Amino acid sequence: MVKVYYKATYTYKIFKMLQAEVNSFVSTVGNITLFGIVFFKGLLSFPTTFRTIMEQASRFGVSSLPITLSIVGMTSIIIAMQVAGEMVKQGGGNYVGMLISILMVREEGVIMAGFAIISMIGSSLASEIATMKVTEQIDAMRVLKINPVHYLFTPRIIAGTLMMPLVVIVASLFGIVGGAIASNITSGLTYKAYFDSVWFGLSMHDLNVCLLKSLAFGFTITLISCTCGMEAKEGAKGVGIATTKAVVWSFVSIVILDLIFAAIFFY
Amino acid sequence: MGIEVKNLIKSFDKKVILDNISFKVDDGKILSIVGFSGSGKSTVLKLISGLIEKDSGEINTSGGDIAMVFQYSALFDSLNVFDNISFALQERKDLRGKYTKKDLERIVAEKLELVGLSGIEDKYPSELSGGMQKRVSFARAIVTEPKIILYDEPTAGLDPISSTLIEDYIVRLKNETNAASIVVTHQMSTIKRTADSVLMLYNGHAVFEGSPEELLKENTPYTKQFVNASLEGPMKMN
Repeated sequence: MVKVYYKATYTYKIFKMLQAEVNSFVSTVGNITLFGIVFFKGLLSFPTTFRTIMEQASRFGVSSLPITLSIVGMTSIIIAMQVAGEMVKQGGGNYVGMLISILMVREEGVIMAGFAIISMIGSSLASEIATMKVTEQIDAMRVLKINPVHYLFTPRIIAGTLMMPLVVIVASLFGIVGGAIASNITSGLTYKAYFDSVWFGLSMHDLNVCLLKSLAFGFTITLISCTCGMEAKEGAKGVGIATTKAVVWSFVSIVILDLIFAAIFFY
Repeated sequence: MGIEVKNLIKSFDKKVILDNISFKVDDGKILSIVGFSGSGKSTVLKLISGLIEKDSGEINTSGGDIAMVFQYSALFDSLNVFDNISFALQERKDLRGKYTKKDLERIVAEKLELVGLSGIEDKYPSELSGGMQKRVSFARAIVTEPKIILYDEPTAGLDPISSTLIEDYIVRLKNETNAASIVVTHQMSTIKRTADSVLMLYNGHAVFEGSPEELLKENTPYTKQFVNASLEGPMKMN
């Protein structure tokens, strides 16, 4: 009798919910680590083909580039509109290009591309694999003695990791050019002054860190998205939960990674 | 030897799903496992196919590949019929590169002919009826010449005529491959038309083991309730 009363209390229910959340968190972290290890071990046996990787890579590029360019382009225009006029007035017009390019290469280009890839690709990867899981296609693969991590994860992770820097480079360039046009229109800053400032401000170190960070983001987003898909429980609800989880975990992970990169390379 | 299962025990979250189950299926024979939903029938198949780990007991097989036909076919919906059937031959580590394109085309055509679906190699699963998808999944299952074939409710969701066709193909595949087969089913027609022996599970226990004829004749409370599809009897729905 006492036991029943105890189980019905709100404190107990909240405790059980928290316990379930912690268990789910630990389990997901464990799975991401495990699948990451299986992925790297599998690379040694070339579990995928160049054609499959290219198929996934084109999917990444085609789907994510328009939205990434729109976001990064508009962000740089907004920054230029708000900052360029003020800086020119204060005599700092020669630093506008530097400010926008550093912002694009160090931060905006890569983080906005990351958000775009998560929305367009991460969610799609998670729901695709989750649907395969709930319709027993993953089990069918296992019975046929094919490792689903090798078959499904490997081409997607390789494509995501390699395509991310390309998307980031194009997006950052787009952002810098967008900033130049907006600065010219809103404050009359010449293109020469803007781009001189860009060359002056940007360093190889910035570009190297940008590339390294985009590789890390691409790997993290695809690994997390595939893992969350693989963790899906039964039914349509399970697919929805897996997709949401992939998006949330990827967002949080790349922000944490971004912080780590900033601390290591720019602090 | 086929399949020999001894004292198999499996629990999920402290709930015992299979409690000390033993049975044997010889090569070229079909065992039908019947019972209520949740009685552990599909768990037996998942344990034999290696999809889940047993808690204790023994599962001995005659070696070679184990094939499984899933309840809703589980065809890879992004691949066409040809790639679905030849998937293991193209992607499995030990088989990759072993077959030429021509070999694959010949093998797929043979398997499709065996299940009465010649000429549909280019179609996608979404373009096929439920019965056709099931037969394609049969073809995919036998492509590696398995020694054991497991069927998880092969006639679920099909009309009576398609079910009869599927039952005929189960028997045909048994004869062609001489594989030991296990068919999990709820349907008496499937038991009568395909099974050499029957195992009835209830609450994780084997409550009947014998031939289909014995199942129909035997007058135990369990068999009587199952054969008559009665709500009255020792087996209660959860």
